[in-house]
Amino acid sequence: MSFEVISNFIAAFFTLSIFSFLYKDNPFYKFAEAVFIGVSMGYAIPLIYQDTFIPFVYRPIFVEYKFLILIPALTGSLYIFRFSKNLGWLSRYPIAFSMGIVGMGVPLSMHSYVLVQMRSAMLPVDNINTALIFIGTVTILLYFFFSKEHKGVYGKVTNIGIWFMMVGFGASFGYTVMARISLLIGRIQFLLGDWLGLMK
Amino acid sequence: MADKKMNFFEKMQALDRRYIYLVVALAIIIPLLVPFNSRTYVTEPTENIYKKIDSFTGRNDRAVLLCFDHDASTMAELFPMEVAILRHCFERDIQVFTICFIPAAKPLMDYALQTAKEGYEVQSGIDYVNFGYRPWAIRIPIMLKMGDDISEAVEYDDEGRKLTNLPIMKEIMNYNEMNLIVDFAGSAAVLSWITYARAKFGANVAAGVTAVMAADNYIYLQTGQLTGMLGGLKGAAEYEKLVDVFACHMEPDENGVMQPAPRDFSKEIIKNTWIKMSDIKNRMHKTARIGMNAQTVAHLMIIVFIILGNIGYFISKRKKDKVN
Repeated sequence: MSFEVISNFIAAFFTLSIFSFLYKDNPFYKFAEAVFIGVSMGYAIPLIYQDTFIPFVYRPIFVEYKFLILIPALTGSLYIFRFSKNLGWLSRYPIAFSMGIVGMGVPLSMHSYVLVQMRSAMLPVDNINTALIFIGTVTILLYFFFSKEHKGVYGKVTNIGIWFMMVGFGASFGYTVMARISLLIGRIQFLLGDWLGLMK
Repeated sequence: MADKKMNFFEKMQALDRRYIYLVVALAIIIPLLVPFNSRTYVTEPTENIYKKIDSFTGRNDRAVLLCFDHDASTMAELFPMEVAILRHCFERDIQVFTICFIPAAKPLMDYALQTAKEGYEVQSGIDYVNFGYRPWAIRIPIMLKMGDDISEAVEYDDEGRKLTNLPIMKEIMNYNEMNLIVDFAGSAAVLSWITYARAKFGANVAAGVTAVMAADNYIYLQTGQLTGMLGGLKGAAEYEKLVDVFACHMEPDENGVMQPAPRDFSKEIIKNTWIKMSDIKNRMHKTARIGMNAQTVAHLMIIVFIILGNIGYFISKRKKDKVN
């Protein structure tokens, strides 16, 4: 029996074990769930050791003698003190450093997520698409203005905003249904094709 | 007793959900076992990625970077698009790099390369390079450093070879040459490429995302921050079709033997081309399109369930109102 056949059998067993939850909770499902978590962690730990610790910590310090690396390495190790009640405060230093890195992205994020988006919302209203963008943007912004009661003409305008949002949520939900069905299709393709060989 | 008074719609509303699971399962299994030919309409965001990648054909001073940001849970949607793009690159002699920043993506990246390579005489270091896994913590520094020098940002490939020694890197320096990044993710990971590679260096960024994430990314398509997008299994099916119609196009020679005859993208050709599923021998090259057949039937079933559920809801509401 080839390795591929054995691995397909194992994968099929775990797929069916997970699917069995659709009928009701059972030991097969629980077993498959636990194995998945264990395997994921078991795979990640040596990979991170090999591709992170060795090239970024061990090799620079112990092979290339770049002792400056000790500073970030030791700072990073302070994370472990999260588990200590008395020394937990030490873990705030690497967290503060990470927050600083996040701060580095603020100007670029402002550009991508705010300025460019605003510029694209300020197009000349010369076709149906830009007209819809204009009406949608304005009415939704007005909907989220809570200092005025949504009544009368103002209420009708904000209602249009709700309609726009509902269309957006509908599109998102439709896509979500498609995604979930796709995942099921992927598994059934595996069971029928790779495992049972019924698909051509 | 109460059961006898229930009409069809009320019974449907009280139906055990497990019957619905069964019907949905059958709606998927039957079209997969008995495949039919449905037309795949190609949308503009998919066309844009295809055209951009195709514009790098045969050029040593251009490359595509594929970033694998997902684990096996989203493989059903993302794997077919990864294979389709890699096939496109191998077929058209386009230099391609691959990288991942999460451990679980590493085997999927290797598997995609292995699957796409079948039937092509491509060599690592010459036609493609796998940068391998890099820790998430240094994702942003790598993105930024790639803007100056890719060989410094990544240094070694997955096989431990120094990038500067690889023939593929001869004319590739930074985002000016590696001018398209396609991020495959079931999350908002592509946003970091938009923020750091697009905003700072003007690199072209495209997304291959799960359907759940597709709606969130349309705003970046509208602003031009995303060159194109493949949304879920549908996007993968569209790309598969483009690869078959253009990059992998075959024509008979004077002896009637089919020979590869790649052609440039044309809206007219794609509009009038219908590919039979049975004509494609390798199942991995049509996974998404076969999947979309099943998807169509499943969606019809869901629509029927929604309509029945709503009719049932309004009938029972009217009944209740009458009683009150």
